[in-house]
Amino acid sequence: MSRSATALKRLIVGRPMSSGELGHTLLPKGIALPVFASDALSSMAYATQEILLVLALVGVAALSLVVPIAIAVALLLAIVIVSYRQIVRAYPGGGGAYVVAYENLGFTSGLAVGAALLLDYILTVSVSITAGGDAIVSAMPGLADQKVGLTLALIALVTLANLRGSKESGRIFAVPTYGFVVAIYILIITGLVKCVGGCPQAESAGEHLEPEAMLTAFVLLKAFAAGTTALTGVEAIAEGVPVFRFPQSKNAATTLGILGVLSISMFIGVSWLTDHTNVVYTEEAARTVVAQVAHAIFGGGPMFYVIQILTALILILAANTAYTGFPVLASILAKDKMMPRQFRNRGDRLVFSNGIVILAISASLLVVIFDANLNKLIQLYLVGVFLSFTLAQAGTVMRWRRTREPGWRKSAAINAFGGTVTGIVLVVVILTKFKTGAWIIILATPLVMFLMRAVYKHYTYVSDQLAHPDRKPLDRRPGNAHFVILVRRVDAAAARAVGFARATRSADISAVTFDAANHAPWRRLAPDIPLETLRTQGHDFLLTHLRERRASLPRNDFLTVMTPEVLAAEGWYEIIRHPGLHRLKAKLVKEPNIQVLDIPLLATDIGPGVDEAQEPARNHVVVLISAVHNAVLEAIEYAETLRPTDIRAVSFGLDPEETERLGDRWLEARIPHPLEIEESPYRDLGESVIRYIERFDPDGVNRVVTVVIPEFIVSKQRHQVLHGHTALIVKRRLLFENGVVVVSVPYHL
Amino acid sequence: MAFLRELVDKLARPVHDIRAERLQEWARSIEGTVPIAEAQCRCRCKIAGVIQNIRIDPREASGSIEATVNDGTGRMVVKWLGRQQLSGIRLGAGLIFEGTVGEGPRKRLQVLNPEYQLLPAPEHG
Repeated sequence: MSRSATALKRLIVGRPMSSGELGHTLLPKGIALPVFASDALSSMAYATQEILLVLALVGVAALSLVVPIAIAVALLLAIVIVSYRQIVRAYPGGGGAYVVAYENLGFTSGLAVGAALLLDYILTVSVSITAGGDAIVSAMPGLADQKVGLTLALIALVTLANLRGSKESGRIFAVPTYGFVVAIYILIITGLVKCVGGCPQAESAGEHLEPEAMLTAFVLLKAFAAGTTALTGVEAIAEGVPVFRFPQSKNAATTLGILGVLSISMFIGVSWLTDHTNVVYTEEAARTVVAQVAHAIFGGGPMFYVIQILTALILILAANTAYTGFPVLASILAKDKMMPRQFRNRGDRLVFSNGIVILAISASLLVVIFDANLNKLIQLYLVGVFLSFTLAQAGTVMRWRRTREPGWRKSAAINAFGGTVTGIVLVVVILTKFKTGAWIIILATPLVMFLMRAVYKHYTYVSDQLAHPDRKPLDRRPGNAHFVILVRRVDAAAARAVGFARATRSADISAVTFDAANHAPWRRLAPDIPLETLRTQGHDFLLTHLRERRASLPRNDFLTVMTPEVLAAEGWYEIIRHPGLHRLKAKLVKEPNIQVLDIPLLATDIGPGVDEAQEPARNHVVVLISAVHNAVLEAIEYAETLRPTDIRAVSFGLDPEETERLGDRWLEARIPHPLEIEESPYRDLGESVIRYIERFDPDGVNRVVTVVIPEFIVSKQRHQVLHGHTALIVKRRLLFENGVVVVSVPYHL
Repeated sequence: MAFLRELVDKLARPVHDIRAERLQEWARSIEGTVPIAEAQCRCRCKIAGVIQNIRIDPREASGSIEATVNDGTGRMVVKWLGRQQLSGIRLGAGLIFEGTVGEGPRKRLQVLNPEYQLLPAPEHG
């Protein structure tokens, strides 16, 4: 990247951070509350409205039912909070519903909760930001036409903030969250005072509604189900226990309690005011319910705008909760092999960038599909919430039964009761919302589960194969090296290939070309190496030739295809200029038991008189590894056949947990070569490999560094996305390094 | 334009330079230590640095473990003979060690079997 491009990138997302900068900053309760509770508190901005929307179908008279229904929802909220205080005690390590369900109820329940939560986080972003957009539109009705664009812009903004990463975000959270709480309390108290002599009326009061339905038990249940949006976000605290100050469980439980008191009082207060100011709310309403109530109580004064701004802010912060939750959950799922491993990578700013980007794209898609319509989006929302509530509590009950800690009966009873209640609510939510949108989630959840299970099966298969004990290379007779040099032109790169091959003392070196004109210069360069001309300029002939050669060799031997090439200039277009060669290499890598060895040479690095083949005096072999498995053993065995000056395995410690075990595994495998664990502070493998290799000061003539990359090849093309493209990235970066030879050793599963 | 160029310079500054500067600051803050760049052969020095490479070599008779530390002024190898595992020696950890500086293979500065103390990773290491 050019310097100005670097400068621009840093201006937007910030300077790359080294892994050492990842540290836990523990949060006091006062900061933890706004960080984790913004999601739960923000649902106060739309929960009442959702109840009203259902009741409106029955007519104006039914609207007073909002208060009893709100009280019922508040009761449910209280039950869930009491129950979750037990979960927080049981799981001081945090982890939330997924960990609890996986650990206690098994794989399928873990999958279900994982899938439900992922979908739920996506919906949290769509719903919260759409609602935030509604609050802005309520204050500035002129923006109503730009609703979708405004919502997408807000998502982009939050995404960017999260890609930058924000350790210091706690304090930023505090102001709007507490501001919102205080503002709503001011609204409720002012409203109560003003209501003493007859309440001020909302702008929509007295509007006539044409009843579309009878007041039935089903409508009541539906209104109740709509109101349960007030419960969303409660689980965030249970997931964040490890970030609390000590004593963590106790502080988290206290914070949950405070959250419960705040939520319940705000919810009932707003619902009561809605009833007494006679708000009539329909899908066509220009302003949200909270906006209408605030307008009735404060008139159009500054306090009205303050409430709108704080509402918009807290809704955006609620979306932010999902931005912390989703990427962390995705990384945990990836660690458990249920999601592609790329979700474990931390980006430049130490955040799980891939998770953040996927979350942003999915949420934006939903916003576009549902036209930034909150009432439609919210229909999808609750299934996942209550599914994870129910399974988390059920899992905790199982845990209490197993551990039988003092007082477990009481805790188990609380969780069992909470789980039963949320289970019933789950059924109610599904029944009442099925037609209006819940069916989408009911279809999507198993689909996501199915995909995750497929990913899991694939990774399990791969790791089983890689650890398969049938391969015990060190007990075997070491194989011999055979080389085939693919000569496109007889040039300095070809000369280096000849020198390299000779230095291995291999008894079998041959060359092939497509061009008979190469014979004369070849005889001058390497009279001892036979050159064969393949009839046609077709790769298939070469492949057939190589396959025949391979078939004639013993299984333990290695057949290496060397592809020397002189590159005119550094840069991408060099790769594009020779598409044929790169297609060929890609094909060769998939051939069983054939190694492809790149000898690239920049035209500018060619010194005088190097058209002669000179054997390098020193050849340092670096085998890139990240774990000890069969593909690595194969690569090391291959490295030995090169008869290099020395062999070492290097791991760049990109996976801290794997690295932790690496030393022991290395010694257990009794591999007779040193292992180095080298830092990669900015998690950029290509750059770190180059920095590492520079210490050998390779010149390509006397000193060569051979980078050996163990590569396991999966049989199905589509499975390739589940694996990193380490080999590709490293090869591309090393292509322009003088004196560096790259060889991938495929291991076919 | 000059201002703009300055801004680009500042923004595009190599991260490794920034890191080296922070490491130096951190190492200086630890009392009694000598920067690696100033450590002479055969001096008995106390040095603080961050572990950037760990090497185990199963070929040596009773094993050895090597850590390469960096304090922002240079790199030095710390080597413990006769063992293959040392708890707490991990990438990014801060290491304070005291021993006689010698010359290892390839003229690298090296300290054998020093007394050492581990520190949590410096925040910006």
